[in-house]
Amino acid sequence: MYAVFFKRKFTQVVLMAMVLCLTFSWIPQPQVSAQDLPRLVYIYPGSPQQDQAVVQEAMSAYMAERIGATIELRPVDWGAYNDQIGLINASGEQYDIAFTAPWINNYYSNVTEEYFIPLDDLLQEYAPNYWASMTPETWEAARVGGSIYGAINQQIFVKPFGPYIRTDVLEALGLVEQFEAITSYEDLLPILATIQEFADQDDVLTQATYNLAPLNYAENWGYDPIAVELVVDTTDATAQVQIYSQTEAYRKASQLIRDWYVAGYSPSDVAVWDEMDAAWTAGLYAVRVSDIVKPGGNAEVAARWGWEVTSVAIAEPVLTTAGVIATLNGVSYTSEYPELAVAFLELLNTDPVFYNMLSKGLEGIHWEWEDQEALLIRPANGAASFADTGYNPNTDWMFGNVFNAYYTDITQVGAWPETAELNRNARPSPILGFTFDSASVATQIASVSAVIQEFGSPMGSGLIDVDEGIARLQEELQNAGIETIREEMQRQIDEWLANR
Amino acid sequence: MMSQKQKLRELRRQDTDRLMSFIGRFSVHFALIFFSLCCLIPLIIIISASFTDEIALTREGYTLFPSMFSTRAYELIFKNPRAIIQAYAVTIFVTVVGTVIALTLMSLLAYALSRKEFVLRKPLSFFVFFTMLFNGGIVPYYILMTQYLRVQDTLFALLLPYFVVVFYVLILRTYFAALPEELFDAARVDGAGEWRIFFSIVLPLAKPALATIGLFTALNYWNDWTTSLYFIRDSDLYPLQYLLYIIQSNARAMQIQSSVGNITVGDVPTQSARMAMAVLATGPAAVFFLFFQRYLIRGITLGSFK
Repeated sequence: MYAVFFKRKFTQVVLMAMVLCLTFSWIPQPQVSAQDLPRLVYIYPGSPQQDQAVVQEAMSAYMAERIGATIELRPVDWGAYNDQIGLINASGEQYDIAFTAPWINNYYSNVTEEYFIPLDDLLQEYAPNYWASMTPETWEAARVGGSIYGAINQQIFVKPFGPYIRTDVLEALGLVEQFEAITSYEDLLPILATIQEFADQDDVLTQATYNLAPLNYAENWGYDPIAVELVVDTTDATAQVQIYSQTEAYRKASQLIRDWYVAGYSPSDVAVWDEMDAAWTAGLYAVRVSDIVKPGGNAEVAARWGWEVTSVAIAEPVLTTAGVIATLNGVSYTSEYPELAVAFLELLNTDPVFYNMLSKGLEGIHWEWEDQEALLIRPANGAASFADTGYNPNTDWMFGNVFNAYYTDITQVGAWPETAELNRNARPSPILGFTFDSASVATQIASVSAVIQEFGSPMGSGLIDVDEGIARLQEELQNAGIETIREEMQRQIDEWLANR
Repeated sequence: MMSQKQKLRELRRQDTDRLMSFIGRFSVHFALIFFSLCCLIPLIIIISASFTDEIALTREGYTLFPSMFSTRAYELIFKNPRAIIQAYAVTIFVTVVGTVIALTLMSLLAYALSRKEFVLRKPLSFFVFFTMLFNGGIVPYYILMTQYLRVQDTLFALLLPYFVVVFYVLILRTYFAALPEELFDAARVDGAGEWRIFFSIVLPLAKPALATIGLFTALNYWNDWTTSLYFIRDSDLYPLQYLLYIIQSNARAMQIQSSVGNITVGDVPTQSARMAMAVLATGPAAVFFLFFQRYLIRGITLGSFK
């Protein structure tokens, strides 16, 4: 009797299990592409755009005629990009091209993990115009361990830092000419003093300036920062590695920061740095003390935060590895058509029509000519701004050569040739193309980074006395083992210089 | 007979006792009040910030009461409410459907594991509980979901991971095992089959346990954003918490970019708008929690042996 009962129960369990299995095994089948042409998958960070499908179709049609492939655009939200691309790479999911840089989807770890394929030969064969559009020195910057793994997007490579000041404040105080004539940060002092006096009486303006830390950037003083406070003087052909905080430039910059902080030109609360841009929009201060000054930069700052500005470049433009490879596109090891992927990059970097499809959308739907001669466009069909047109990724620098981008603002017209000129005339750093392999000194790097973290804010905001601060910083850096890193770096640089 | 002196001493001792207990109670209350304030104040600050004027917020920072009252952040969000409504729909669907399915699966599994006469009890227990100690890690999980089950970019990807949470099965099994065997025998004598025993006797008796596990599961579904981070790219399928995460981390990513220097991107949502999003996303969950709190408190002791 029990046996029968048990059997029935057992059958029921098995049946249940089968039903459950069936439920679980119901899976949506992968879609089969309607077209026969190979389809390239391009993954990049960005918010999904409403009209993405339309743009993708137009791009595919354009590509099909020229290189015999179509494209699938896969933007991933900024906040999720690092996680998703990491999983995609680690799991071997198939895709062709992905955006990479030292600051997102880390280029160097992608190379170490062999997630990208070497492009040297492919670029020369399938992207000859793109390859020729930049000097061999520039391409050197993307080289890691002998091969190039990332296709460089041409944009401003140099970092000519300098102050930005609100034009309305300058004009109110009659300082325009004096400001435009400055040649060093020291010259800024009388201007800051006048603005601070003005701010003391003004209701909205509370401070002359805000975050002084950028003054301390190594690029501001002609040094090429390699890693953790270690720099090379860009005029030194033998490329001697120095500890940045031991240099005269660092002391000078820190002294300026300290003096200006003590004089009350910047707020005493370091915690507010994160809100710097919001405070600028709110009109709390008038001087961005050190930012990248570039052609069209004033219009860009004004469009972004709503105050007209005037700027003067002070730092000398130097071509550094970090500046050149700030934006790259890599080809995945899972790509079935690496040649087509590179041909796609060629098209993106040399064909303005194709490039602007991806970065600006379609003519007549998303933009229309304001002045075709000057390559100036405006939002299509009377839309108030490009953001209202249904396609506005607003990340030209991610997709290719920005010098092919159409201008969206009359004040920008002509900025690209000027920027290209700036890049071309920049003095290359003696270690352009060198990348530091930090594997053997990882422990020291971690402790040195912690020290820098600890001192970065107080030194950058002028909270502590310069001599005392530098002395303590030196001591801590030595204890953390910076000398070991310096020696290792020098060894690698010497070896690299010898083999070049 | 107690002498006068002894009586006095006794009285004094009682006084000290009372004082001590008062101090004890006072310090406990003080600690508890302090702790609740620590939990409450950030919440109040977020609500206050969401109602503060953007410029006032930058100038005066976060305050307990809005320094300059403004509903602009909410107007901004509700001007284009599609994203948030869609996210609510996804979250509610996933939470309701997920909790019902998960409770059904887990209670069936736990019941089977609690029955001593079940022949496969040992191997099945091992199979289930082994996963509590060892798992493949994130990459195999990703490969399984995307390349074998192919559930990426579907609601099913959000439902699947919490269908069976082993720890909850363990709690339910313990609870089921504590039910007296005689009940089942009596039911069987009355002619009830296995299904009937389960649905008409076991489940009604296990209501508190089911409510607790149901609440935990519902909170899991409601609060889950990592699953979407891995498997959802279609913004129409973003659940609420993930939408919130994306908004906050997009703003952060854009800050990193501006610090890289030579690049610029579009608008970063204003601080008050971000706070308003946080309020809209957490508010209903808080109410939900208050409603179920009594089950939760009763249920907390459930897993333990009496």
